[in-house]
Amino acid sequence: MASLDLLIWLIPALPLLGFLLNAFLIRSERPAGLVASAMVVASFVVTLVATFGLAGLPAEERRIMSVAWQWISIGSFQVPFGIMLDPLTAVMALLVTGVGGLIHIYSIGYMHGDQRVVRYFAYLNLFITMMLLLVMGNNLLVLFLGWEGVGLCSFLLIGHWFERRVAGEAAVKAFVVNRIGDAAFILGMLAVFNYFGTLNFYPVEAGGVSQPGFLERSIEIMGQTVGPSWQPVGVATLITFLLLIGATGKSAQLPLFVWLPDAMAGPTPVSALIHAATMVTAGVYMMARNEAIFQASLTTQGWVMWIGALTALIAGTAALAQWDIKRVLAYSTVSQLGFMVAACGMGAYVAAIFHLLTHGLFKALLFLAAGSVIHGTNDTQDMRRMGGLRTAMPTTFWSFAIGAAALAGIVPLAGFWSKDEILTHALTGNHWPQLFILFLTSLLTALYMGRQVALIFFGQQRDPSYHAHESGRVMTVPLIVLAVGAVVGGIINLPWLHWLSDWLFPVLGEEASSFNLFMAALATAGSVGMGYLGWWIYDRAAPRVKVGGKDPAYRVTGDIWDGMEEAWYLDAAYSRVVVQPFRRLAGFLARVFDPQGIDGLVMGVARLFGWIGAGVRRLQSGYVRTYALVFTVGVLLVLGFILVATR
Amino acid sequence: MDFVLFFVTAAIALIGAIAMIVSRNAVHSALFLLMNFGAIAVLFLLLQSPFLFTIQLTVYAGAIMVLFLFVVMLLGAEQVEDTPDRIAWQRPLAFVLGAGLLAVAIIGAVRAATFAPPPSPEAAEFGDPARLGELLFTSYLLPFEITGVILLIAVIGVVVLNQRGRQRVKVPSEE
Amino acid sequence: MVPTSYYILLSAALFTIGVLGVLVRRNAIVLFMSVELMLNAANLALVAFARERLGVDGQVLVFFVITVAAAEVAVGLALLVAIFRTKQTADVDEVSTLKG
Repeated sequence: MASLDLLIWLIPALPLLGFLLNAFLIRSERPAGLVASAMVVASFVVTLVATFGLAGLPAEERRIMSVAWQWISIGSFQVPFGIMLDPLTAVMALLVTGVGGLIHIYSIGYMHGDQRVVRYFAYLNLFITMMLLLVMGNNLLVLFLGWEGVGLCSFLLIGHWFERRVAGEAAVKAFVVNRIGDAAFILGMLAVFNYFGTLNFYPVEAGGVSQPGFLERSIEIMGQTVGPSWQPVGVATLITFLLLIGATGKSAQLPLFVWLPDAMAGPTPVSALIHAATMVTAGVYMMARNEAIFQASLTTQGWVMWIGALTALIAGTAALAQWDIKRVLAYSTVSQLGFMVAACGMGAYVAAIFHLLTHGLFKALLFLAAGSVIHGTNDTQDMRRMGGLRTAMPTTFWSFAIGAAALAGIVPLAGFWSKDEILTHALTGNHWPQLFILFLTSLLTALYMGRQVALIFFGQQRDPSYHAHESGRVMTVPLIVLAVGAVVGGIINLPWLHWLSDWLFPVLGEEASSFNLFMAALATAGSVGMGYLGWWIYDRAAPRVKVGGKDPAYRVTGDIWDGMEEAWYLDAAYSRVVVQPFRRLAGFLARVFDPQGIDGLVMGVARLFGWIGAGVRRLQSGYVRTYALVFTVGVLLVLGFILVATR
Repeated sequence: MDFVLFFVTAAIALIGAIAMIVSRNAVHSALFLLMNFGAIAVLFLLLQSPFLFTIQLTVYAGAIMVLFLFVVMLLGAEQVEDTPDRIAWQRPLAFVLGAGLLAVAIIGAVRAATFAPPPSPEAAEFGDPARLGELLFTSYLLPFEITGVILLIAVIGVVVLNQRGRQRVKVPSEE
Repeated sequence: MVPTSYYILLSAALFTIGVLGVLVRRNAIVLFMSVELMLNAANLALVAFARERLGVDGQVLVFFVITVAAAEVAVGLALLVAIFRTKQTADVDEVSTLKG
């Protein structure tokens, strides 16, 4: 439909307009927040309309492509600047604009009075634009454009309060670690182009020329290998492994997850939007989009599963030992992303997307509720200083509790259905190690959420220096909306209705999964049990929690607890092995090589000429007889030359 | 006969030249040079140029050497050069170069000139002043005039250089 | 008749002796006299070639050389005297302030 072609451009264009308005025209706080939020909400409405339009098409035709212009046209390297809307894109776009819109509205309240609030809203809108480009791009390069764009916005927004050194360093760290993944992503794109001749996902009609896609031609690279003869690597493995590394950077998996906990130095709505619901899910989306070639390489899928599972476990243990309210949620995000990545590795892409959607809802909810807590406790983030807040902040308490329960996977909340689907897939696919690890992680998830709820909302307020109060309506209404979503969100893919599986079938081609009652019951029982256990332990131990003191569990577990708190010292290892040597090298170059080497070379050239001049100057001795000597030498030479030449 | 005369005169010229540069006393050097000039004048005569023989004796031996002797006596510069040479390598290098120059010159001379007897001039008035005068005022008129100017300039220059007690113009900054 | 090359060889020898004199002696007056010796050697060569070529042009050139040499000696000795008045020495090495 022609009108749909143009309509889908509005989806990224509206937030872009919001960015431009906020960046160049708007100067004061009120219009900034209103314009930004309005643009995103409008984009959400357009997305809804477009999705309904899409649903009106027969299932095989549900792909709307629109190319604006031929971005790159160099011989055989043709890349159009185009976007598309297909079922997968639609659900991602709905998540981005829907949750994004709620977070924008929330930000109006949270960032009230901030000195750079207009800049904040501008970047937030820019982020939405870039994320939409990422999910709507119809070729790898536009996706990568959005990929880099969200990385940039993440950097800008984490460092929003750049007066704080922590924020600046965290922003740089996020960007640099992402960059490592991006480098691999670029190599993966090069490999795709090398073997397929194109970066388009699907065939594109642009400018009267048909440009092929690569996702439906994955059969072409089956059996091809590359590399030395004693260790051949399948082409599909090469491509997908590189893309996987890109995903580990963006989606904070092992070994590149170290930036996410530090990214909590940014404003809480930023953490909610970027580091819970949207940007970090870009890696999962990218893998789902490229499922055709990922499925072609069993080797890579094995890696994907292990990376996802191990990340989930490690991050889960780290989340258990954190004191900062946001860091618990940050590690929790890493852990849940591990679930999604592991699901991709098992071939359960629908389950991964399902979990992505539900996680987006309840993690955003948790972050916003945490923001409400921070706001209401005069910017306290250390849970040791909180306690007993449920009486002062009831709405926040109930939202947080619902979010925590959803995350823990308590039936019938959204998280239960999506997490259970992943575990069931592990069971039916006979991935026993991953099943064990993921099950253990879900127990840990419930445990640390129970701990967190107890530490924040139960017991007595441990730090009397603030007066706790509930946040304003502009902040609590989004919380309520998200809480409702967290409760009923599971409906989109109930095992016997499987609406999402059907919806995504044209793209991912997966059959609906089965429902294993035993697994479900076991998981739920485990979650409920561990959740209650976590709550009970810390509710009892609350009087022993001192401000600035160690966790009560430290007495039992000792230094293991510290190891967990530091995420098994992975970050410290990076610092020792990578960052310090680089700093030393940079210091050496700056203090030694540059002044002595480079300057020495340049100055040396100058000094050389001075030295030559001084040497040559000594020829002018002032003695006439020396000059006569030189004359004679010259005369001899000339005469000799004449003699020789006239032989 | 000619050969004997030539060799004797050549020997005198060489001895005079070498003695001139070797002698420590400046007056002795001047006198040896005088001897050398005399020998060269005789050689001019042997080369059929009686006019130049006369000119050489008159101008060179008679005027220039006298001028040299005057200046030597005036300055009292017949002292011996006692102090060792300040430029250490000057003397050895000079000998090397001298030898080289001599070698080059000999090679050139031997290659170019012939050892056959030269053709004798037809007329007996070969080196006659009349012949010279003819050329001097026709083909070589311009050089002749310029030489006259050079002599004039030389005279003026000598007078200017040897003024005594000239009033110097006071430089304003000194006042 | 004596062949021309004998005269040329003699001229070369006298010239070399003159060059040696310029390079070795420090007394300015002796240095000057060596220069005159060189000029004479050149004159000798000129006259020898004039006879060989049966043309008096060579002798005319010698005439000019002698004249200019006379003028040069006059001016040079005047300079020498002027320098001697200030420096009180005829050593050529003393006059070396024009150096790098």
